[in-house]
Amino acid sequence: MTTLTTESPAGASAPAGRRHRDVQGTGRLAVLLLSPTFLVLGLVVGYPVLAGFRESLYTTGQSLDANGFVVQGSQFVGLDNYTAIFHGDRATAFWNAFFNTTFFTVVTVTLETLIGVGMALIMHHAFRGRAVVRASILVPWALPTAISGLLWRWIFQADGVANAILHHQVLWTADGNQSKVAVIIAETWKTSPFIGLLVLAGLQMIPQEVYEAAKVDGASPWQQFVRITLPLVKPTLLVAVLFRLLDVLRMFDLPFVLIGAHKDSVQTLTMLAWNEATNLRYGSAAAYATVLFLYIALVAYLFVKLLGADIIGQARQHKSRKAAA
Amino acid sequence: MTAIAAAPPASRRAGGRRRHTGALWGLVAWAVGLFFFIPIAWMILTSFHSEPDAATNPPSIAAHLTMQGYREFFGASTGTSPWPAVINSMTASIVATLLVLALSIPAAYALSIKPVRKWTDVMFFFLSTKMLPAVAGLLPIYLIAKNLGMLDNIWLMVILYTSMNLPIAVWMMRSFLAEIPMAILEAASIDGAGLITVFRRVIIPISAPGIAATSLICFIFSWNEMLFARVLTGVRSTTAPVFLTSFVTSQGLFLAQVCAAAVAVSLPVLIAGFAAQDKLVQGLSLGAVK
Repeated sequence: MTTLTTESPAGASAPAGRRHRDVQGTGRLAVLLLSPTFLVLGLVVGYPVLAGFRESLYTTGQSLDANGFVVQGSQFVGLDNYTAIFHGDRATAFWNAFFNTTFFTVVTVTLETLIGVGMALIMHHAFRGRAVVRASILVPWALPTAISGLLWRWIFQADGVANAILHHQVLWTADGNQSKVAVIIAETWKTSPFIGLLVLAGLQMIPQEVYEAAKVDGASPWQQFVRITLPLVKPTLLVAVLFRLLDVLRMFDLPFVLIGAHKDSVQTLTMLAWNEATNLRYGSAAAYATVLFLYIALVAYLFVKLLGADIIGQARQHKSRKAAA
Repeated sequence: MTAIAAAPPASRRAGGRRRHTGALWGLVAWAVGLFFFIPIAWMILTSFHSEPDAATNPPSIAAHLTMQGYREFFGASTGTSPWPAVINSMTASIVATLLVLALSIPAAYALSIKPVRKWTDVMFFFLSTKMLPAVAGLLPIYLIAKNLGMLDNIWLMVILYTSMNLPIAVWMMRSFLAEIPMAILEAASIDGAGLITVFRRVIIPISAPGIAATSLICFIFSWNEMLFARVLTGVRSTTAPVFLTSFVTSQGLFLAQVCAAAVAVSLPVLIAGFAAQDKLVQGLSLGAVK
């Protein structure tokens, strides 16, 4: 116990030092360990989210402050900002952006997952110059979007590299389906490494002995991949895919830099909200943001419910194993 | 013993024993690496070209190399140095990453090794903070920062980047910590190790690759963040990407200069990547587990 009292001032988790991790102490410890994170997120993220939702119920008046932000003269309009989204021209724009957002998400996340897992498997192997190859694969993701958007704009411009390779004149950055392809190529190039990096770290944590045991049992490489690698990497992979989903659903800067604003073929929901905000219609922008928030929440919830079942299962396993021991 | 001795050659993991498979993997890896790296190689090459050479298409490989683009970026003719912006970005990214680790590792430990009741709800709460488009949070945050007198202050960016990266860090660390076998932690606590000792001696060493990956991701996200930095920073606290875009707007027609600027701004991230590489490669050796 003496060691405990000397140790506790060093960390925030004083009651945690209990030698025996009894069930009752666990709850208190968990609360203690979690509360700083809750506090930060509640203050820095939670409050602005609520303030944004409140904003969506108001329409902005005439008075602007020195910075061009509306501070006074807002009027409460209830759900008018929401119903306006689904009427007339704005409904067409909304469903177009909704379709684009969903389309980009499905296509890019699928491609990124396949390429990312492939990359991780390749990078996991020992070969000459592995460190250099790993680093060069990670570079596209590390590049700021402002730069990669610019880079791909040069590649896709009318007399750019893409057309030179294809020997064909395609107006990639004009409005149309080809601009969707351009965005998908640039986005996949940029973020496959992200999934690759996470899956690689997951692969690194699989004990070598598991594979050796499988080999002794005569498992083929394919069997090893399906029965050992995939299940053990799945929690990491699911987290990576989930965060990609959340990011792509809010995609903004890449189509904005690469193709430009007000192009129907690449207009995403976040771009719609941004358009409203730049026109100083903050209530309307907040309404778009809230609709998108609900959509993303639904997708994330379904994803966790349908695929994340074994993330939960794993924690329970620990619990029951602990209880058994 | 015979079975064990016969087994290794049948696998591709046997490394040196199957040179041919190893060489093939190496070849594939180099091809993929090259494919992903080509656009960047082009950018780096262009950054060392003079402006007339940079404008040719396809890019001229044999052209004369010059540092002129970099000299321009570091203020040779405009007189504005990018260093304050780089230092601001460094401060924001490094401090935010350290804060994220300090907050997320204990939280992830609580969520993975000692499951809390209703922990899925907790995880979902963390996640929900990533669901709102950043554009929506911008106005409230701007107004709060203005009221607190925190506008154009790099510590505001530190706080924002910390909270932005916390959800993904908690989720990632949780999935890494969940892979630590419970038996090790039990063994440690039977040996009388307190929580802090367990963290220092067991959890952190074992999950080092995971921590490296998490910090790398937080660092890169913070370094590259644009939207908030653009609105909330000003003259004193401007960050490297903001500086870069204003440079691109004013010098956008000079391809070599823009490439030099892009390379210079990406360099810290590349260095961070190489630094974290080391730890990433360290696998979970069963020696540590025993």
